Amino acid sequence: MKHVGRHLSAYHHGELSAEEHLRVGSHLLHCSKCRDAYDEIRLGARLASSLSVTAAPAFTWRELRPNRAVTRRSRWVAPIAIGALAVVIFAIISGRGRIQDESSWKVSGVPGMPRLRPGEVLQTGSSSEAEIQIANIGRLTMDPNTKIRLLITQADQHRIAVDRGKVEALTWAPPRLFIVETPTATAIDLGCKYTLEVEDNGSSLLHVTLGAVALEHEGRETLVPAGAFCHTRSGSGPGTPFFEDSSAPFQSALRSLDFGRAGTEPARQLEIVLREARVRDGLSLWHLLPRLEPELRAEVYDRLAQLLPPPSNVNRDGIVALDPKMLDAWKNVVSQLWQ
Amino acid sequence: MEEAKSHARLTVKFQEQALSGRALMTKNIIDDGTIEACRRGESDAFRLLFEAYKDQVYSIAFCFFDGDEAIAKDVTQDVFLKLMTRISQFQNRSEFATWLYRIVSNACLDRKRALARFLSFSSSDKPEATERGKSAEDRYLQRELEISVRKVIAGMRPKLRIAILLKYFEDMSYDEMAAALDCSKGTVASRLNRAHRILARKLSHLRAVALGE
Repeated sequence: MKHVGRHLSAYHHGELSAEEHLRVGSHLLHCSKCRDAYDEIRLGARLASSLSVTAAPAFTWRELRPNRAVTRRSRWVAPIAIGALAVVIFAIISGRGRIQDESSWKVSGVPGMPRLRPGEVLQTGSSSEAEIQIANIGRLTMDPNTKIRLLITQADQHRIAVDRGKVEALTWAPPRLFIVETPTATAIDLGCKYTLEVEDNGSSLLHVTLGAVALEHEGRETLVPAGAFCHTRSGSGPGTPFFEDSSAPFQSALRSLDFGRAGTEPARQLEIVLREARVRDGLSLWHLLPRLEPELRAEVYDRLAQLLPPPSNVNRDGIVALDPKMLDAWKNVVSQLWQ
Repeated sequence: MEEAKSHARLTVKFQEQALSGRALMTKNIIDDGTIEACRRGESDAFRLLFEAYKDQVYSIAFCFFDGDEAIAKDVTQDVFLKLMTRISQFQNRSEFATWLYRIVSNACLDRKRALARFLSFSSSDKPEATERGKSAEDRYLQRELEISVRKVIAGMRPKLRIAILLKYFEDMSYDEMAAALDCSKGTVASRLNRAHRILARKLSHLRAVALGE
């Protein structure tokens, strides 16, 4: 006699076929063990039925803020852009995303400095924080011991420099409108939420929690999507982006590859990276390709092809030679990781 | 001209639902036209969707995070922001509600993972069941029962938790849940089985109250 325990919730909810329903029903008539189990399921279901809908608190439609936006410059983020277009439209029609010239930004938390104007410096103390309205496109929070400068605020660009400390930015504007300069890279907002921490030596750490940020340095762009980190170092610019849930050995080996001293063994570090890489880490592997010597690049190709097979118009020789069209074609596959 | 007609239609729908004052009723007026209007970026259509589903989405998040209002509110906002940014990707391949609740379940599970180190499942005694027509004693018992159920659900593994919340807040079929949770129908059945048993075993002392014995 085959017991029917695993079917009991489906039986209770009427989710079985007529034939199965009859079979379970007749089994219950004769099997006390399954009957007891069914009593338990019915009690559990009855208890769960006591849940009632809780009215959402008085957070209103107007409190909703778009968190993604559209870019037209890069095919890399094109899928993000499609969805984000709706956000921009929403922002405009809701009357909250209208982009206007603002000559200064509202500051909260810094006595004696209610506004921040272009050319001015804002610095928080060892125990104070500040919140700044980025014109009407977003909000910037400054941690203690943070120093920023407002460089430009106008309809088509809002630009600050973070000299040191930690800021959190949240924007609801079209992409590439809000730009943060650090000593080692330029962070270009693609419609998102992120934190950026700059150390005294100019090194920085970017952590994106919504949307995406592009880091630019000497003409090279690194895309950091939600859930990913990226280090930057003086003299090296941005490192390879990596997802926060990648393994510790993966992250450590990646940092050695990015910023290791001369004499460290890149081949050994790459071996660890490739061994630890999951499908999701295709983000890092793709960004690694142009950073490595051709011999090592071929190894990255092989591993990335295992994890995320390239399109038919992409081949090993082309990737090792850094063919821009092939890199771009594969990038479109890899970018599905965070869609 | 077409957009003007669409706007007028949505406005009427919205006024109707506002007059009804019942969020659940608004679900019935979310049709392909409303979805299409959202895809075009019409504010009224987004508003209609928001009003139709906000209480359900909030309730799932509220219960998933054991009555933490701040997190539930945050998750609800995230869900609707994602909905707005991704509505253009929705291609009617599945029912809208299934698609929405996939976003809800992912938002809850993602937030849970993000908060894993910090989240304290402290108890909360704030379910707001509104049950007109019951005696004060009945309402008290119902409230206590629901608090107990929420506590047990909050202690379940996240995948069991979201399964039981989708089932009992949304009354979704197993097929719909499988689509929303990106798993098989058998897995849905298995998760609900385990969740029911956990509830029954941990709250066996409330049997009489639950069954009205």
